[in-house]
Amino acid sequence: MTILQGADPDTVLSLRGVSKKFCRSLKRSLFYAALDVWSDVFRGRRASDRLRTGEFWALGNVSFELKRGEALGLVGPNGSGKTTLLRLIAGLIKPDTGSIEVRGRLAPLIALGAGFNPILTGRENIVVNLSILGLSLSKIKAVSDAVIAFAEIEEAIDAPLRTYSSGMAARLGFACAMQVRPDILLVDEVLAVGDMRFRTKCYRKLTELQSQGTSIVLVSHNPNAILGVCDHALLLHKGAVVETGDTASVLNRYEEAMFDHRLGRSDGTLAREDHRSGANIDIVAVRLADGGGNPVTALQCGKPGRIMVELVAHEPMPKLFLGLLIKDLSRDGSTVLRFHSNDWQHAWPIEPGRNIVGITFDPLYLKGGIYSAKLYALENEKLGMLDAVESFVFRVESLPRASGSLYFQPIKWLE
Amino acid sequence: MQNKSHYSYYQADSDLRQPANYLRQLINDLTASGELSLVLFLRDTKAAYRQSILGIFWAFVPPIVFAAGFTLLSKAKVVNFGETNIPYPAYVMLSVILWQTFQESVRAPMAGLAESQAIMKRLRFPPEAVVLSRLLGVLFNFSIKLILLIAVLIWYRLAVDLSSLLALLPLCSLILFGTFLGLLLAPLAVLFQDFSRGLTVVFGFWMFVTPVVYPVPESGVFATIVRYNPASSLLVTTRETLLNSELSLLPQFFLMSAVGMVGLLLAWVLYRISLPYVIERSGA
Repeated sequence: MTILQGADPDTVLSLRGVSKKFCRSLKRSLFYAALDVWSDVFRGRRASDRLRTGEFWALGNVSFELKRGEALGLVGPNGSGKTTLLRLIAGLIKPDTGSIEVRGRLAPLIALGAGFNPILTGRENIVVNLSILGLSLSKIKAVSDAVIAFAEIEEAIDAPLRTYSSGMAARLGFACAMQVRPDILLVDEVLAVGDMRFRTKCYRKLTELQSQGTSIVLVSHNPNAILGVCDHALLLHKGAVVETGDTASVLNRYEEAMFDHRLGRSDGTLAREDHRSGANIDIVAVRLADGGGNPVTALQCGKPGRIMVELVAHEPMPKLFLGLLIKDLSRDGSTVLRFHSNDWQHAWPIEPGRNIVGITFDPLYLKGGIYSAKLYALENEKLGMLDAVESFVFRVESLPRASGSLYFQPIKWLE
Repeated sequence: MQNKSHYSYYQADSDLRQPANYLRQLINDLTASGELSLVLFLRDTKAAYRQSILGIFWAFVPPIVFAAGFTLLSKAKVVNFGETNIPYPAYVMLSVILWQTFQESVRAPMAGLAESQAIMKRLRFPPEAVVLSRLLGVLFNFSIKLILLIAVLIWYRLAVDLSSLLALLPLCSLILFGTFLGLLLAPLAVLFQDFSRGLTVVFGFWMFVTPVVYPVPESGVFATIVRYNPASSLLVTTRETLLNSELSLLPQFFLMSAVGMVGLLLAWVLYRISLPYVIERSGA
């Protein structure tokens, strides 16, 4: 994929300076719609390159082109404009600036099973869906056996669709979509359905179509899907193209962008001097440190590290317990570590004024990535929470030896 | 693999700036809608009848109920509708069938678009198909009611002959006029709930100023309203052609037929122009 200059006969899709604006206020947006239709009909042109009150650019100045047989992955956080871009390419909505040129038959797999009716049988629904996808009745007759075979629902094909599981319906929808033989396929998260085996089959089919010359634009939140199918990727952030290039490097940039997006650049500290919990303890700062207690901006995989919690107490306390939950933000946000100092029968005596408590990892087993820690101070073994930090986002620098593993395991090879 | 016949170009400017291109698109989409609208019609009809025990019985009920009710009122002299040239129950049944067909043809494009907006937000397909499939539904419903209509003609021994078949022409005009209104309102009705709600009220009132349960009034302000009500001349002319009576509202009929046809073309263009804006905002 390259930023477009001039026309190439192999180019199937080209976008030049495409922008799209939306309006958050519903009433106003309806009014604008009426104005726009009026201008389209009577003036032939709307002043669409300027923002009106309440409007914002959902997509700004996007240009790229796609050649035959290429696969492009669209990545970006929610609301970055991926689906809007697909809708524009599919011709469902109009761009506000720029132009979109599509050479060839385009099939948007934005929704599977368009037009399915739950009352009708699977066989009848194949006809409806394929007809909506633009196939003639004679063609539908010719391919419907292939659809049924691909979807693997021979035994249920004459039962009403409402008796199908959601996976079966999705399989039927995907099998239909595969009959369109498009030059360009737009895929929006639809492959997240069905079981593992069918998903693999779908991706295999996509690769097969691609090798036959079909170009693909794929939107997915699953980096592996993008890596598996796409040669190139485009990173969108707040409607703007942040990065284009080979899939792996764009995905890396995406993870960084996700991180920036969440809490700004983390420098390994979280300070909140003015914070008041209303209880005896106020957690005023959290910071990272190396094994020797020196402040660092990121922890290192495989090396000792500390998370230090600075708190201010108003009155002395014989025992303070600390809890810590660590979530993996670079992957799916699931909790990977949970510690409660009580489980170690560990507690800190607290003096009025500043106190430092914390945890040492020796070494740190977390692999490289972005993590979020939830910290809480408790006054006894049970509940009694005094103060908490909902999310302290920190970075762990990767260790090449741990790449490909779920976590770092220190080992020794036999002599 | 690349298909030369598929080429699309999207930009901010109105598609109407290239009229020749636009016309070709209209014709292409209309041709492509043929089979699709049939498929969609069959889908909706099959689904509707599979979920119903009484089936086509529901097509017969409203005209019969209307006829029974108004005959009762008329016989009891609660209201005086004036003399009809055929037995009153037959008059009401025929008229209600036509009125319902008109009403259905207004609702057809609106219902078609409202129901399909979820798909249209995700797939591009000829937008004419959702309207045409609903119109096939209107014709299908009418053909079922035709059974009742023929039964009425036989029961009341009304004089009909081959020339009564000419009534299909004004009937087409009636449906076209309804479709014109429906198509004009369809995009608005998707955006604003007010339209479909208001329509129920409008139809309620509209029936009162259309000669459905009473004959065309001869004089007075009310007569003028009734005569220039577009639905009146279309409905009355259909009824009169069917019954071989004198055509009393012929000039208005021609005027309204012309308005309907020209209007339908304009509404079609407007429908297509407004579609991307509507889809962008539809909540489906």
